[in-house]
Amino acid sequence: MPDFIEPLRRRLMELGCPIAQMRRLVREVADHREDLKQAAASAGLSGADAEARANASLGDPLALAEQLMTALRQSTWWGRHHVVTFGLLPLLVYPILWALFLLFQMALGFALGYGWNWEKLRVVVNNPVAFQHLTTVFQFMDYDAIALVALLFCWLARRAAVSLKWMVTACAVCSAIAVITWGRIEPHSFTLGFSMNGHLHMPWSRGALPLLIAGAAYVLQQRTMRRFQQTAL
Amino acid sequence: MAAMKKTNPSFLNGVPELLVLRLLARREMYGYQLVEEIRTRTGEALTFGEGCIYPYLHYLEAEKQVSSRRMEVEGRNRNYYKLTTRGRKRLEALTTEWNRVTAGVSRLMEEQHA
Repeated sequence: MPDFIEPLRRRLMELGCPIAQMRRLVREVADHREDLKQAAASAGLSGADAEARANASLGDPLALAEQLMTALRQSTWWGRHHVVTFGLLPLLVYPILWALFLLFQMALGFALGYGWNWEKLRVVVNNPVAFQHLTTVFQFMDYDAIALVALLFCWLARRAAVSLKWMVTACAVCSAIAVITWGRIEPHSFTLGFSMNGHLHMPWSRGALPLLIAGAAYVLQQRTMRRFQQTAL
Repeated sequence: MAAMKKTNPSFLNGVPELLVLRLLARREMYGYQLVEEIRTRTGEALTFGEGCIYPYLHYLEAEKQVSSRRMEVEGRNRNYYKLTTRGRKRLEALTTEWNRVTAGVSRLMEEQHA
């Protein structure tokens, strides 16, 4: 008798089903199959025939996995509108989120570093060595904000259970916008902007960051799947 | 409850939701029971694909219309689903809409027969 549950689990994994959802779906389908077997046995079928009927009622495990994933994707707005969410939304949302994350980190840094004391900050700004240190911290915050936006889209892709290509698409869009957006601090001024040139001090590494995050998310997903597969066997 | 739409495409999509919520309003049930009840109580006019009810139940749970718990009954562990307060309100809204649509369809059918 061919196994039903293992092919279902494997196919769900291949389709990018989040692990927690997969565990739950597989457990519930296994319970359902057990109920179908019991119903068939109560109708007078032998063990093997009852199992065959249960499997026949559930259909092809690979097709069931596809149906389950379609239903799972349809259950969230993000999953239903994946082109808008992962293709177009980053275009609109990236600049806003990046600016917000950056400003939030700067506010946090100011609160922790200077206790909201503008006089202390002014002293640092007027000291070239200290200002250089402040610029480095600002650059770190800028990269951090880019990473946070990309991570947000990766998380959304996993939550919506969409295929990997949509996660990569969102990160590619973030990457393109990261190249043309910039933030700059100078003594007594701070600016955020968009431009196709004029900020050549760090655009390519900014653009590479979302792609690196997409790659890392892919590797992490593969490792988690492998580990899950090993424990499931 | 948001104002009802003048057209009803979402309502037609909402039939499975109405059936599931209606059955869960009576008692706590698990997936297999729901599939069987829908099949038998609609005279096999409506059937849920075996196994496909689960993502749907998870969606209703995410929407906080139903809640679930793992429970052992007669030696079998299963996920049981029950209606929440929000689910009950949703059921009332869907039932009102269902009655409005069926009354409209009936009126039209009667006019055609007359």
